[in-house]
Amino acid sequence: MTDTVNIQPGRSRLRAAFGYEERSAMIFLAPVMLVLMLVAVFPILYSLYLSFFRIKLTRPNRTPFVWLDNYTDLFGNELFWTSVARTVVFSVVSVSAIAVIALLVSLLLNQDFRFRRVLSTIILVPWAIPYVANALMWKWIYDSGYGALNGLLFQLDFISRYMVFLGDQNKTIYLIANAFVWKEVPLATILLLVSLKAIPSDLYAAARVDGATVWSRFVHVTLPAMKPGFLLVMIYETMMAIRHFDLFFILTEGGPGDASHVLSWHIYVETFRNLSFGSGAAMSYVLALVTFALSYIFIRTLGRRV
Amino acid sequence: MTDTIHKPAVDYRRRQKLARISRNLAILIGALVVAIYVLAPVAWLVSSSFQTEAEIVSVPPHWIPEDPTLRNFEAIFTAGNEEEITYENRSGQDPASGGYIPSTAKNLLPAMWNSTVVATLVVILNLLVGVPAAYALAKIRFMGRDASIYFILMTRVIPDIALVVPFFLVIKNLGMLDSIWSLVLTYLAVTVPFTVFILVQYFEGLPDELDKAARVDGCSRIQALVRVFLPLSLPSLVAVVLFAFLTSWNEFLLALMFTQTSASQTLPIVLAAFTSDFTISFSFINAAGVLAIVPPIIVAVIFERYIVSGLTAGAVKG
Repeated sequence: MTDTVNIQPGRSRLRAAFGYEERSAMIFLAPVMLVLMLVAVFPILYSLYLSFFRIKLTRPNRTPFVWLDNYTDLFGNELFWTSVARTVVFSVVSVSAIAVIALLVSLLLNQDFRFRRVLSTIILVPWAIPYVANALMWKWIYDSGYGALNGLLFQLDFISRYMVFLGDQNKTIYLIANAFVWKEVPLATILLLVSLKAIPSDLYAAARVDGATVWSRFVHVTLPAMKPGFLLVMIYETMMAIRHFDLFFILTEGGPGDASHVLSWHIYVETFRNLSFGSGAAMSYVLALVTFALSYIFIRTLGRRV
Repeated sequence: MTDTIHKPAVDYRRRQKLARISRNLAILIGALVVAIYVLAPVAWLVSSSFQTEAEIVSVPPHWIPEDPTLRNFEAIFTAGNEEEITYENRSGQDPASGGYIPSTAKNLLPAMWNSTVVATLVVILNLLVGVPAAYALAKIRFMGRDASIYFILMTRVIPDIALVVPFFLVIKNLGMLDSIWSLVLTYLAVTVPFTVFILVQYFEGLPDELDKAARVDGCSRIQALVRVFLPLSLPSLVAVVLFAFLTSWNEFLLALMFTQTSASQTLPIVLAAFTSDFTISFSFINAAGVLAIVPPIIVAVIFERYIVSGLTAGAVKG
């Protein structure tokens, strides 16, 4: 290295800009970049390209280039807007429920008590199991003929006869959100617990000396310190909620009617049942952009720095 | 607050004791509520997987099976050896033999095997690709380091459903539909960014001096990585293996698109097919569900410590 610098000053500039460190880093990073180009960057660009064509697998030989028609068509598509509304309801309900429940559970797990470790192991169970198994489990719990929820409400005398749950337009999206929340709370709890543990105990001691009550300590010390944790939970869970598919596929298939016809389900139906790949690609592109935009907004409003 | 200071010490002490008792009580109740919230649905799934066809349709339900049976699990594990189950003898025409066991029951074990193979391959590829990248990002100061980190971060934000259409067309054109390799390849998109982040986080925590000392002793970068860093980063490697494995084991959407027959169907696909078939007994479906949740739960319980620390590491940067 040093030799080159002395003998050939002209090439050394290039070498310095693209020196030994850069070259070895490139070798180490090459595999990961190659893989991500192949499985992430290329598909997302290819999907943009596809979204400019009218591709119907039912007419494989005629795929006209239609510019932005697949996007502008969305404005007039009523079912698309229904699906957007359903997605918003589902995401808002489940993300706020996740935030509140995870806050309570993480405050609990931050205390010192005998079964803390047992409880923090138990809480990993929903996180670990597959979404399909989660969906199957809740489908059986919500079952209108023999389900556990009906049985429980009946035995506690809340209802006099079994009722329909998932088949009820007004309930179904909240019931699916409940299944989603159950599965997502553990991860959110762990993320919040990290920022709770990072609060220096001096802060509490100082607040106590100043005569702060439990509540004001919580509001003025704990909550502000948890901001980064909340930011992370909001971004991550919102991303997960607006793209969620598995529960809708197994529990309701978008039904009854269009009561749980969310965006991801709409994309699935458009692409794989109507076999319209162009507009499917356009919609999934919209979803990807919304995801990017939302994470950006969260970062700008909730926190200056991630 | 000011009142307590002027009151006699005995009263103060009693209050303190009362506060401690009520605090402990609140924690106990809270812990019980959380444990029930988490475990009750799973317990019900397990309980109903041991119930007979007659018992599972009782109203109100039997919370604990009165006549527990292993028939559902037997059906899954012996499905391959039995006589061919056809449409005629499957749908519960014969109450004596139980019935309601689907002919697709024999697909469960192969699907579990497929899931295991796919997950294992994804784990291996994640390590091969992720470890060197994380080392470079954490320990080499080079131009474009931040850009590379942001790039990897961005790929994590892409929704999997946005990848489905392009993946499908490419894989169809390559003739790789219904092959486990299409799953292995696409699962890399959902696992690799997270792998890199956990490892970068961990490597950054290890002192730079280690790297320098190894280099002074004549190690190449690769030798420094393999001989010095890898042995030290075992906890984060365990976390990476677990995450990649569980993510692949649990993935549904991509598998739904790319698999068609039992040659490549993974466990979630076979399970999902059961749930949409109304002729299948609930107790059988639940037994299949239990089979699907047992391996991940065992993994989660054994490696609880690594999982939490891994999630934590991924969180700080993520």
